[in-house]
This record gives sequence, structure tokens and C-alpha cells, in this order.
Amino acid sequence: MKSTQYSEKTLDHFRNPRNVGTLEGDDVAVGRVGNPVCGDIMEMYIRVRDDRIADIAFQTFGCGSAVATSSMTTELVKGMTLDEALAVTRRDVADALDGLPPIKMHCSNLAADALHDAIKNYRSGRKLEPMSAEEIAGAGTGCGVPAVAVIEGIGDYEGRGVYTAVTDVTQLADKRVLIVDKGVASARLALELTKVTPRVVFLTELDALGLPEDLATQVKRSDVKVLFQSRLAAVRGEGEVEKALIHDLDEDNDYELFVDAVVLLEP
Amino acid sequence: MSREVYLDYQSAKPVDPRVVEAMLPYFTERFGNPASLHTVGDRATAALEESRAGVAAFIGAQPDEVIFTSGATESNNLAMIGFANRAKREGAHVIISEVEHISLHNIGKFLEKSGFRVTKVPPDQFGRIDPDKIRSRVTDDTVLVSVGWASNEIGTIQPIPRIAEMLHGTGVALHVDAVAAEGLLPIDMSAVPVDLLSLSSNDIYGPPGVGALYVRKGVRLAAVTIGGGQENGLRSGTENLPGIVGMAAAAGISADELSQESARLAKMRDRLIAAVLSTIPDSHLNGHPTERLPNNAHFRFDGIEGESLLLSMKDKGIAVSTGSACSSKTLEPSHTLISCGLLHQEAHGSLEFTFGRFSEDADVDRVMEVLPDIVARLRRMSPLYETR
Repeated sequence: MKSTQYSEKTLDHFRNPRNVGTLEGDDVAVGRVGNPVCGDIMEMYIRVRDDRIADIAFQTFGCGSAVATSSMTTELVKGMTLDEALAVTRRDVADALDGLPPIKMHCSNLAADALHDAIKNYRSGRKLEPMSAEEIAGAGTGCGVPAVAVIEGIGDYEGRGVYTAVTDVTQLADKRVLIVDKGVASARLALELTKVTPRVVFLTELDALGLPEDLATQVKRSDVKVLFQSRLAAVRGEGEVEKALIHDLDEDNDYELFVDAVVLLEP
Repeated sequence: MSREVYLDYQSAKPVDPRVVEAMLPYFTERFGNPASLHTVGDRATAALEESRAGVAAFIGAQPDEVIFTSGATESNNLAMIGFANRAKREGAHVIISEVEHISLHNIGKFLEKSGFRVTKVPPDQFGRIDPDKIRSRVTDDTVLVSVGWASNEIGTIQPIPRIAEMLHGTGVALHVDAVAAEGLLPIDMSAVPVDLLSLSSNDIYGPPGVGALYVRKGVRLAAVTIGGGQENGLRSGTENLPGIVGMAAAAGISADELSQESARLAKMRDRLIAAVLSTIPDSHLNGHPTERLPNNAHFRFDGIEGESLLLSMKDKGIAVSTGSACSSKTLEPSHTLISCGLLHQEAHGSLEFTFGRFSEDADVDRVMEVLPDIVARLRRMSPLYETR
């Protein structure tokens, strides 16, 4: 079976998804799940009144079945009590869509998971919003740089793709540059580098930019790609930097990113 | 709905009607087994050898350097496994590039299981392989290097003449998968010292199920398919005569029309690239800005996923391709895009357009009529997309 061999019902929910959007208010809780490897990220918003799901909305980045299962899940559980909604499984969602290609069953799993996560967050009173830059800056962490962790292999590539200072950005022209967050100077350098290369990745362990507001805005508007909650775990390559091993602190997993240069500014 | 728009020529191409016409007699009155000693067999042998000469001329080779196969995958298998097995005593190290077709990556895995060491060469952010990166990986144990002439996915053209010159005379053989490039770029084995070159018939509008492997004179292979000893013992099995005649006819047409057709396709490609990048915010071109196949335009759109894009295009009658994991069997995103330095979520948002012989200017217009709205609609429901 092809991975896109969808039922008519699935295609209908993909083409005309129900309840797309977000909800706001004190009686709203959010559930967020994602699988960065297969590429689906989903948010479910529920408004709870008298222990029932009074309103529900979703946002999804994902394939056809990710959209369809999100949409179907919102239809299935609207009006249910929280316990009833917790009992809804991926199987129920898939069945309601007249089945899914076997390889796509994980996507419907996500929709139910996001819903269950929202209910859990509602019950525990947890708000699922990332801290704002001001909150982080005000938390007394200075430039927001956590304790230095060991980066495997970093010493072997000094002068061969690992930079501790960059005096002339043109030496990185057209290179894929990974800059580790060392505060304001590193963010300024990242912005400067976008003038000479299309690929600048800014790696920060925080879940928001811990920078002064105007600089954070500049970074957001620039072509700098920011990777939040990420730590450089290792540098790899045949004689020179070719890959960076990145540890995703949120998902607690590692993945390789192909790069040509790694910049770790020294204070 | 208007007519179907097919912009996925890298996946499959229609057979040119002129090719079908050339093939038809070989199914009926001109049938025959080239191995037979009677007149029918002699006629088949003549057609086979004439076709071999035709395909050889297409790539500037000698006829006896062309082995017919069942397609590019078989050609890649014969080249890589056949060469590696033959050269085992000289060394057990093989180098391939990260941007190869999936068949070569899997052949690499197979060679690893058979006791070879396989090293991969990463490309730059545009998908280009730097010959120096190959050189730094060559050891005394290296016997074979494999780099595709161009990427079937992002369309980046590799500096094959430079790589070939670098390896020439060093005792390390070079295999080139030319499937994405054939018919679009001139390929001349009399000018470029490549040792092994894979070709496919369908990729030059010939029938599917036929291909060829160029084997430079003096390069020795071990057979992979064992049987009656056809094709100089390298590819046993009675020759697919109608298919081979069709491939030769397709090669002839391709050679005649190549420069004109490539210029025509490049114009459409450039118009689509300019329109997409200027009309759709946060859209990016994948692959090389200039060193790319004339028929390939490969984009990514921030915050949206390729399969959703593909399905929406399908609903509008437009056939395209994506590097998204959700459309693959493994649910892994395209290894080519990842090796260019993209993050998983970026690779997922990619869309590939490949033009071909029957594409028209109107196809570009049709894409631009629908694509901006599709991207906007999917972004409205995406938690990953924020307007900057």
C-alpha cells in the first residue's frame, strides 16, 4: 500500500479540516506532541466547561494523515467528558476515518496523544507556553549561557572548521555555519554572517532567545535558523568539520547536522 | 478542471511516440534471439549490434564498451558489486557520495555486509561534491569511487570531469550514475576518463525495463547475473530486443535534440524559480543556483510539510514529487536534503518539479495559479509557521 493511499474520508478531512486554529482563555489547556524525525508536530487546544470539552481546536505541521487525524479527533471528542476523551485511542481515530495506511498509524497516535496531553495539562493546571525572552533575561542568568558541557572531538578540529573567534566573516562565505549561543556577541556575529552565507544556524539551550529584545527581534526577522533547547554534543568529519552532533534537550535525542564550520566564541 | 499537469519527469517519462514506432516491428515480424544461428537469429544480432553502436555513440563510447541491462538499478549493481568483487584482492574500500540515488546507498550497505568498508562524501550546502573531499578519503585500500553525474532529486550537477581527472591513473576506478543527467547534459566518454557509467532507457524517453552500463575497455568486472553468457558474459539472459532497439532510438533522438531541448527546459525552470521565490514568502531553492539540471526546480517552504503540499497539488491536477518523509516507505526524510545541511523539518517542506519533453509554458502558469494559495492555506494551520 502506498503511504498516500488514503480513504475518501481521510482526504475529506485533509481538504476541509474541522476546528483549525487556537483557543485562548483561563479555561483553555494546550497539548503539544511532535516527532521531529517523521516530521509531525501537533497542538490541541481544549476549552473545558463542567468537565466537558466545550470547544476544541488544533494546529498541525504534518502529512495528509496528520491533518486528517487531528481534524477527526476534534470532531470525535467535542462534547465528551474528559474521562471519555481520555479513552479515545488512535485506533478509534483511524476507524472513524475508515482506516489509514499502516505506515501512517503513528500519525493518528499523535492526534490522540496531543489530546491526552491537553487533558493532563488542564488537570494539573499547567500552562504550556514557552517563557518569554524578558522572563529569561530577568531570571538572573546573565547572558543566559548554561554551564559548559563537554563537546566531543572539539579539540581535534581547531583551525579545521572550529572557530573560537571570527575577525573576518568572509572567511566563512558560503559555508554552513553553526554558532553556539554565547550571548549577545554570538547573536551579532550570526546576523553579520547572513550577509555572506545563506546558512547560519544558531544553537541555544534555551527555549526562547535570551537576548535583549531588539536583538532578539532582529534575529527572528533574519535568515538565521535558531535551534532552541539544543546542545552541541560532538563535532565530526574526515580531517575537517563536516557534521555536528546535536542533542535535542526537549526530546532527549541526538541527530547529525551537516555543517562546514562551528563557531564557539570565547569570552 | 483543466488538463493534468505532469511535472514529475524524474520519476517516470512517457515513451516518445517515435521510439514506440521504431520498436513495434521487433515485437512481431522482426522478433528473434541473437544467439540463434539461423537467419532470424542473424537479423536479431544485427539489430542488437546496431543498437549497441547507437547507444555507444550517444555517450562517445566504443560499441563493445556498452552492456545492456534491465535498467539503471541493475547497471549500478553490476558496476559496483561486479567491480568490487573483482578488485577484492587489491583493496576493500569503496567511496560513494551522500547525494546518490537510494539504490547506490543500499548497494553500499550490501557491500559493507560483504566485507567492504564504505565511506560517504558529504556535499556542500548546494549539493556539490568537492573533489578534494574525495581525495582526502582515498587510501591505499580504496578501489572504487561512485558519484552521480547529477542529483535526481535536487538537480545539482557534479564536477565529474574534475573528479575523473583526479582519479585517472591512480588505480582507483570511478563509477558514475548518469541517469539524472542523460539527455539533458552532454556526456562524452572519449573526453572524460570515467570507468563505469550507468544509463537508463526510460530517462531518455525510451521504454522502461532497459538500461545500459558503459564499461571502459580494460576495466574488468565479475558477473552478477549468471546464465547463458550473453553481453560478453557480464549480463546473462536473452536480450530484450524490442527494448534495446527502443533505447537506441531514444538515444538518437536525445542526441539530436539535446542542446535545443535543454535550453527550452531551462527557460521554464528559471521562470518557475523566479516566480516562486518572488511570490511566496519564506520559500527557498534547494540545490545549486546555477550548476543544476535544466529541468529541475526544487523548493522548500518554511512551516509546511511536503506530502500535504503534494496532495493539495494533486487535487488541482498537478503531479509533483517531494522529499518529505511522510511520502517515503521509511518515514525518513530525503538523505540528499539532510546531507545538504537541512534540518528534518526543513527537508519535510520540500517540493520537486521536473520538466520534460512534453512540458509547456502553460504548466508554469498553472502551478503559479494554485501554489501560493496552497502554501498559504497549509501555513494557516501550521504551528511552526510565524510571519516574520
